[in-house]
Amino acid sequence: MANTAAAGGKSTARTKKLNETKMILRQPLLLVAVILTILLLLLFVIYPLVKILIFSLTDADGAFSLANLAEILTTSRYLAVFGRTMLLGVIVAVIATFIGYIFAYTITRTNVPCKKFLKTIATLPILSPPFILSLSIIFLFGKQGFITKTLLGITGNNVYGMGSLIVVQVMSFFPIAYLTLSGILSSIDASVEDAACNMGASRWHTFWTVTFPLSLPGIISGCLLVFIQSLEDFSNPATIGGEYSTLSIEVYQIITGSYDMQKGSVLALLLLLPAVTAYLFNKYWVSKKSFVTVTGKPTQARKLIDEGHIKWPLFAFCMVVAAVILLFYGTVIFGSFVRTWGYDYSLTLDQYRKALAYGWDSLKNSMVLGLISAVIGGLLGMIIAYITAKRNYYGKRFIEISSVLMFAVPGTVLGISYILAFNTKPLVLTGTAVILVIVFTFRNMPVAIESGTTTLLQIDNSIEEASTILGADTGYSFRRITLPMLRNAFFSGIVYAFTKSITAVSAVIFLVSARWNLVTSKIYSLFDQAKYSQAAAFVTMLVIILLVFIGLFNGIINLLLAPRSKVPQVKTQKTEGTK
Amino acid sequence: MKKSTKRFLALLMAAVMLLAMTACGGKKDPAPEEPSGTEEPAAPEAPAGSKELTVYTALPEAEVIYYFNKFEEETGIKVNYIRLSAGEMLTRVEAEKENPQATLMFGGSTDNYIAAVDKGLLEAYQSPALSNTPETYLDPTGTWNPIYVGCIAFACNKDWFAEKGLDYPASWEDLLKPEFKGEVIMAHPATSGTAYTVLSTLVQLKGDDQVWDYLGKLNNNIAQYTKSGSAAPNAVAMGEAAIALTFSHDGLQPTAEGYPIELSFPADGTGYEVGAVALIKGGKAEEQENAKKFIDWICSEQGQGCYAENQSFRVPTNTKAPVADGLVTLDQVEVIDYDAVWAASVKTDYCEQFEAKIASAPKE
Repeated sequence: MANTAAAGGKSTARTKKLNETKMILRQPLLLVAVILTILLLLLFVIYPLVKILIFSLTDADGAFSLANLAEILTTSRYLAVFGRTMLLGVIVAVIATFIGYIFAYTITRTNVPCKKFLKTIATLPILSPPFILSLSIIFLFGKQGFITKTLLGITGNNVYGMGSLIVVQVMSFFPIAYLTLSGILSSIDASVEDAACNMGASRWHTFWTVTFPLSLPGIISGCLLVFIQSLEDFSNPATIGGEYSTLSIEVYQIITGSYDMQKGSVLALLLLLPAVTAYLFNKYWVSKKSFVTVTGKPTQARKLIDEGHIKWPLFAFCMVVAAVILLFYGTVIFGSFVRTWGYDYSLTLDQYRKALAYGWDSLKNSMVLGLISAVIGGLLGMIIAYITAKRNYYGKRFIEISSVLMFAVPGTVLGISYILAFNTKPLVLTGTAVILVIVFTFRNMPVAIESGTTTLLQIDNSIEEASTILGADTGYSFRRITLPMLRNAFFSGIVYAFTKSITAVSAVIFLVSARWNLVTSKIYSLFDQAKYSQAAAFVTMLVIILLVFIGLFNGIINLLLAPRSKVPQVKTQKTEGTK
Repeated sequence: MKKSTKRFLALLMAAVMLLAMTACGGKKDPAPEEPSGTEEPAAPEAPAGSKELTVYTALPEAEVIYYFNKFEEETGIKVNYIRLSAGEMLTRVEAEKENPQATLMFGGSTDNYIAAVDKGLLEAYQSPALSNTPETYLDPTGTWNPIYVGCIAFACNKDWFAEKGLDYPASWEDLLKPEFKGEVIMAHPATSGTAYTVLSTLVQLKGDDQVWDYLGKLNNNIAQYTKSGSAAPNAVAMGEAAIALTFSHDGLQPTAEGYPIELSFPADGTGYEVGAVALIKGGKAEEQENAKKFIDWICSEQGQGCYAENQSFRVPTNTKAPVADGLVTLDQVEVIDYDAVWAASVKTDYCEQFEAKIASAPKE
């Protein structure tokens, strides 16, 4: 029944591609979507990147020069930093995806208590500006740390370095893996797993031969997203990395310390290579396999695993991770109620009063712009996933690759490339809110695209074909068949984009304006002034506001995209079965 | 049925197009007023109505709000500002040089301003109020205006020294004492203007031959070379290190929050930074007069009097301006004849040497 990748000879593939291209030309809506997407990507992704590429390959007089590139490639120090950055990225990606998988599996497959709590915990870390966790680790495990010094009596513990960096990055980024994986795990048709069980396979066997292979695209995507995040992360290595320098730090260092934007840009472009390679590998590898499980044939709700020896160890693991996260966040919340975090622990509400007086406007700006860009990015992401996942036409590769590029560019460079591209005619956007919305949209959209694509890859073409045969056009099929199935992906995409927009640091340093200042650049400057308690108060408020927003999002999306009972036959009913 | 589907999809499309439209709309707004702003910088006949000024500043936010409010009270000019680190400020001004978004660069050490002059980013303007400023601080190219001075100090964690029963270091040699192992912190000269001033002070103090030897020994006591200048005193505030090498005003910054920091100064001489303010070349034409007013004001005794009122720990360059109680002024500390222009000209070279000989060298 699953006959997606009909790989014949090269010529048949080409004919197929040509045919599909022709088919798209006959569908005006689809054609408009494709063309519009390509135009937007050209303007807001390719154009700024080309600008900075040209800029980085010219010398001070504007003449073409490869001197910077040559210098970087021959400096052993940069190569060493490059290696360390990759190593960190791989370690963090593997651990974070592992934890994300266990969370997603426990929540979607087993019958454990406190699921709501676990779900919240698994999304909490993307809700705060990441360097706050670095601060927590210093106050908990540093030389004067609460755990190291006060509880254990260890003095002089050096908390800076690779170990702490891994802990903090895993904690910050595993939610991305979780969101990707929970989407995919809950959309695997329950009957596939049930069938394995019915035929006598043990739970373990079922997992390894059915669930795990089916969720592999999600695992790879999760790893990839975390890997790229780790590569371009700036604030954690800057706060807690100590002497473990990473590429994004070096880039920042060269640009703002040595005042050499050209050389910094060249180094930053080097960062794009591994990210794009990882992405292409993922595409190639995943597309080789067929992962169709949502077939349109009726299935019953999932039966959750209830065996004690399976669910309790999983539950315990999740609880331990949750405890660590709560410890870190608890430290932050506690820090927001004291006079001087780390020194004077007398309780006070002053920090909140000060924080509100200092940054209410910027908080509002962040919310509004984040919301707008999340919705636009979520929709655009679903459209891109829809027009790329199942079709093959001329221009598709371009959409796929260019739509994820911005995700991998270090924030500092992203900011500079947008200034270079949009500060002069023909298109002047600097100083406006629009430039921030655009940056957020294109930077954070890839998660929506990834989770949308992995979900779509699981849906058998025959469902849409059936719908088409029954007389529905593409638009109707998309709305009534595909969109409801994409609900989870859409939701996680929007949540991710929204929270990331609100917590982005390095990308916006160069793009905020006096009129459109953002809350993170305010928090960033609080850190600079050692006003840690006030920063903690800010972050606590931010997390609470975001949680409320996410709850609202969730409600609205469920309301809008709930399957209607009017057309009961050809429908989906099987996305989740938590009950 | 079909119609409703179309409508729904059209809605989807519309949302996406809205993005494109707003983007294009955004361009049309600023475009018409642009020709007046870009090509002829510093048009002296500014429209008299403009009561605003756009500033990039490297000073701490708590401080600048005070100055800007004061300035608005006196002149009625409202200051819109963005706070950046000094290096970020310069980067942003450079990236925006085709169409500057701000009119004034305010604060941050002359190191940045000298680099900005080299890159042709600044418009020369010297305030008449500089007549009360000693000549050593002035810009030889006559572009930027010196507004405050701060010298390099040892910012010490009071509690740590009390607990160990040790005295604050009183000379550069004191920093090498074995009891300070892993307790001295400074930023990396390549990323922080402060740290470069430390390095350059030591070069000028000890000479090219001795300085690397000294820094090599000091390296054994260093906890880490932080990325940003402010991270060093902040680490001392948190007790992650005992001594930060930093500017006095930055070193005392965390005390405003209640952290236990006190300063000591090397008796064998220390360097200093001069902070500056300057016009950005090609800044908004209608703000030029306001920007000059601000420069004149911050160079005057009233303007620099704010340092004391605001407890910013900055030393005024205007000799007529009042000095805060307990503030260490340059005549009380042994300062070397710090050559900022020379220091800026050899910065890349020394930073590279520092990276190769010291920062990447193993510690004993």
